[in-house]
Amino acid sequence: MTDGLTKHYGQVVGVEDVDLEVRAGEAFGFLGPNGAGKTTTMRLLMGLLFPTRGGATVLGLDCWHDSVAVKARVGYLPGEPALYKRLTGNELLSFIDGFDGGSRGYGVELAEKLELDLSRRVRESSRGMKQKLALILALMKKPPVLIMDEPTSGLDPLTQRVLYEILNEHRDDGATLLFSSHNLFEVERICDRVGIIRDGRLVATESIDELRAKRLRHIEVAFNDGVPPGLSAVPGVTDVEEVGKRVRFRYRGDIDSLVKAIAAYDVADLSIAHASLEDVFLEFYGAGAGGEVK
Amino acid sequence: MNWNLIRKTVSDRRRGTLIYAGSIALYVVLICSVFPSVKNIKQEALQNYPKNLSRLFGVQSLDLKLFNNYIVVQFLALIWVAIVGAFVISYARNMISGELEEGTLELLLSQPIERWQVLTSEGMVLLAAIVGIVVSTVLAIFVFGTLFKVGLTYGGYAAFAVLGIALFIAIGGYSFFFSALFNEHRRAVMAAAGLTLAFYLLHFAATYSRVADKIDWFGIFHYYNPFPVINGGVFPVKDILVLLLFGVVGFALALWVFRAKDIT
Repeated sequence: MTDGLTKHYGQVVGVEDVDLEVRAGEAFGFLGPNGAGKTTTMRLLMGLLFPTRGGATVLGLDCWHDSVAVKARVGYLPGEPALYKRLTGNELLSFIDGFDGGSRGYGVELAEKLELDLSRRVRESSRGMKQKLALILALMKKPPVLIMDEPTSGLDPLTQRVLYEILNEHRDDGATLLFSSHNLFEVERICDRVGIIRDGRLVATESIDELRAKRLRHIEVAFNDGVPPGLSAVPGVTDVEEVGKRVRFRYRGDIDSLVKAIAAYDVADLSIAHASLEDVFLEFYGAGAGGEVK
Repeated sequence: MNWNLIRKTVSDRRRGTLIYAGSIALYVVLICSVFPSVKNIKQEALQNYPKNLSRLFGVQSLDLKLFNNYIVVQFLALIWVAIVGAFVISYARNMISGELEEGTLELLLSQPIERWQVLTSEGMVLLAAIVGIVVSTVLAIFVFGTLFKVGLTYGGYAAFAVLGIALFIAIGGYSFFFSALFNEHRRAVMAAAGLTLAFYLLHFAATYSRVADKIDWFGIFHYYNPFPVINGGVFPVKDILVLLLFGVVGFALALWVFRAKDIT
């Protein structure tokens, strides 16, 4: 929970007056363009940065005064995990286990699930292997709180799926999860709620259901008998563009209503694509959303 | 202190420390082996040295036919200080600014460990390494000095070892401070090496300049005079305490800076 959390780097605003509450046991997705303040918020929660003003607590513990107690209860995955290059995966597990003890066994189990060779040195590992190792280090203590900065970054789709299963297991065990992502599908799959941060400010907090209702899709339909008139009158349809017997448009709303509306005609082909996160920002939060979206 | 971190730091630094200690031992072998053949021409060579050399070493006159004098001039007064000083500065920069630059400090500080524990744990390992290198230097002088029959007198080396340890604790103290202060390890190294060089130049200038002489007490080399310590066997309590004070102040400043440092 943060209360007016603010961090300035000289004249540059990292985050400004962020009031965020992640409820016990929920999975909270943190969305925003690059440089919006996601990583800064997470580093503040871990006591790695000191706030310009405001405060933050994790499980009722102050993130700075009780930082050791907080870190004993939090598994943290940095956005760009840097590991000791000279060490092997096994040695790193032993080192991190040495701070608390008793978590190495689960670390080895996670390595098997993620198909990671722990005998390999970090310096000889690929980007994906390092990400897997960093994930194991964050998860191995089975902490009650997980703070993860883009956990699926660098992972192949199969490993991402395994990670979703692992994260869901942790959630089933009662863990609270705060993670940032650029993948809307991933956020929808795991999270209960999302917070959207822009220019250092938390501009919206929504449940996944609310987000789904607002979700934008790119639709392309080919009709055997030509594009039917009145399609643009269907609620939620915008930016209609006809090319011969095909039509492209954007749609926001309940997908079931749209499919039923289209099914009244002779459909040759149908393509539905989820909008990118950038589209979501631009649609929901206007031109000021700006910034590159990862 | 945190024993888990101490174990890892020992493992990380063991190889480098052994390489430094081994290199120093080899240098001692070289000096001991050539001394019997060159000792007769050394006094003539001394004529070419600066007139204030004796004053720089804190003595009235130098007789390089004596091995203790020879090894101080050829090794312990400058080259040894430069080698071990480089080791200490390099160690300190790897600790904070080096780990910060590589990003591993984020991993370390996301574990349940206080920041002061990180510094004190790694500081203890540095202290152990300093003691190891200084003691191994003295042992190498004893062993190879005896083997090559250089006419070694042993009396003052224990006091010299303590003085040497105190000198490198002083260098380690401000090197820790610069490592905690700067985010880039190059700047930390430049600052620590630059200050060490400035202290040495100040001490050197003090042999020529009255002004420099008046402020020489401000630098660490004012308190490092191996020649009278090795020859006289006098335990330089005041010098050692002042050097230790340099180290403690530097380390305290490092703790103060590091406790509120943003890890970006």
